[in-house]
Amino acid sequence: MASHSSKVFLCFLGRANVRGPGLQDTLHRVTYSTAQSVNTAAGNRGPPDRGGRGPFTRKPRRDPGEPRTEKMSVDQDWTAVYPSATPFRSNAVPLPVRMGYPVKRGIPPEKKGNLELIKIPNFLHLTPAAIKKHCEALKPFCTEWPSALDTDAKCDEHFPVKSESTDYVSAGPSVRNPAARIVHLKVKMSTLNLDDHARKKMIKLVGKRYCKASDVLTITTDSCPLRKQNLEYAMYLLTVLYHESWKTEAWEAEKTVADMEDYSWEDSQSQKNILDTLVRMKVVGEGEGEEVREQLLGRREVQDYKDSVTRLKNEGESEITMLQYKDAVKKVFSL
Amino acid sequence: MIFSCPSSPSPKNMAAPMTLRREIVSLARILTGISHLGTTALGARSSHKKYNVIRSHLPLTPSTSFHTATVLSSKPSSITITEEPDVLFQKVSVLVKGHDRAVLDSYKFFATMAAEELGITISKVYEPAKEIDRLTLLKSVHIFKKHRVQYEMRTHYRCIEFSHITGCTAQAYLEYIQRNLPEGVAMEVTKTAMEKVPDHILEPMWKDHPIEDKPSQ
Repeated sequence: MASHSSKVFLCFLGRANVRGPGLQDTLHRVTYSTAQSVNTAAGNRGPPDRGGRGPFTRKPRRDPGEPRTEKMSVDQDWTAVYPSATPFRSNAVPLPVRMGYPVKRGIPPEKKGNLELIKIPNFLHLTPAAIKKHCEALKPFCTEWPSALDTDAKCDEHFPVKSESTDYVSAGPSVRNPAARIVHLKVKMSTLNLDDHARKKMIKLVGKRYCKASDVLTITTDSCPLRKQNLEYAMYLLTVLYHESWKTEAWEAEKTVADMEDYSWEDSQSQKNILDTLVRMKVVGEGEGEEVREQLLGRREVQDYKDSVTRLKNEGESEITMLQYKDAVKKVFSL
Repeated sequence: MIFSCPSSPSPKNMAAPMTLRREIVSLARILTGISHLGTTALGARSSHKKYNVIRSHLPLTPSTSFHTATVLSSKPSSITITEEPDVLFQKVSVLVKGHDRAVLDSYKFFATMAAEELGITISKVYEPAKEIDRLTLLKSVHIFKKHRVQYEMRTHYRCIEFSHITGCTAQAYLEYIQRNLPEGVAMEVTKTAMEKVPDHILEPMWKDHPIEDKPSQ
């Protein structure tokens, strides 16, 4: 048994010797009690073959032979060599590729036994020829886009409701991503059948979800665990908003000036001011009372002034609105 | 609304001018030879359609037989066409993220070429700015607070946007793209689907069902 174990030892030592020259120093320093010396073990190629008997015979090692690249023809079918995603095989890729850092002002190492080339994902299975073949097989499953909907404007006109959702693909312990359940529903308010009161009420009901600049109502739902449920909930919300905004409740009659979305000039401070000023200036002549004010209101300059003030308040200050206001004021005071 | 949609490979007995939905029976079978999708897909679609047209009877393998040897049928897998109207996507945006720019470049070439072959309109291909995540940690296990080491993780992005793509095409193309996603690369797909205004929002219901005059809560 001892000799057998020593042969096993030698077998390991022999293999270690063949691998690297640096190990030989350590071997000489190691003191093992072996039947045979280390030098004879270094000369053998593996353990002594006992004529095919016993459990420790090894198959004779064959020479690797010439690489497959030598036998490849120029016009071969590459899709047959790399039909699917496989690691890089240096003897199967007939390209003189080098990869790695050039140590000591040298050159990048060659492809044979190069770990860097094996580590990086390669696209050898997705050459243009392979992509064409795959797409030919996929074409029967594709449908064409309806030709009548070639511009975005037409799409918006016929299909105004847009639902947006995201799918996530990544490697990890789980395939699922909880963010995939979120649904954004976008509708342009102008496409819905709403009258003036309903429109204003709906805007008030949704609050921040309405963008005034683009007239888009966005409903985002993520309270349900599945995307289908979230989509249905968003449609339900839209339906409820629509129908509720057509209703007029009793307390809506208490709407004050502060609640109004748009500025209206009638019964506003601006009207009182301008009428008071004109009456004091005695534009009309003598006379006080309601008829004078109504007469003033009917005048064209006052109407222009009313338009310019309304525009300023609703649209904000800009070059055009300020100029319009200036012109209106000049006309009213006949400057 | 009826659109004139000339789908080029129109089936022989289809007269309806609505866009059709084609059943992906076993797309995987063609690509990699695994057939476990066919049964589940067929079962789900058959439930809710009024007109049940062409139904080809494939040798349906039960879904639990994934690990047993599946016999690939010698005849080509037939395509089932149902009357269900196809989903229309106004925009499909594919964002790929990875640590290696070269891998993302190759993937972008592959995705754009595949889209061109299948006839999908590519509206934009661009590269959002990379993001760098930096950490500063202590170099030593114990004490030496002044000596630190810094690590960073760089995430590169590529975005490909497609416009005007149907549901069937999107499904086929995205599945193809995702099966060939290289290791170490993640993807986010944002789809914007278009729908009509549903029937219950066309008219307010109070016209048909007027509310009684009672105070609301």
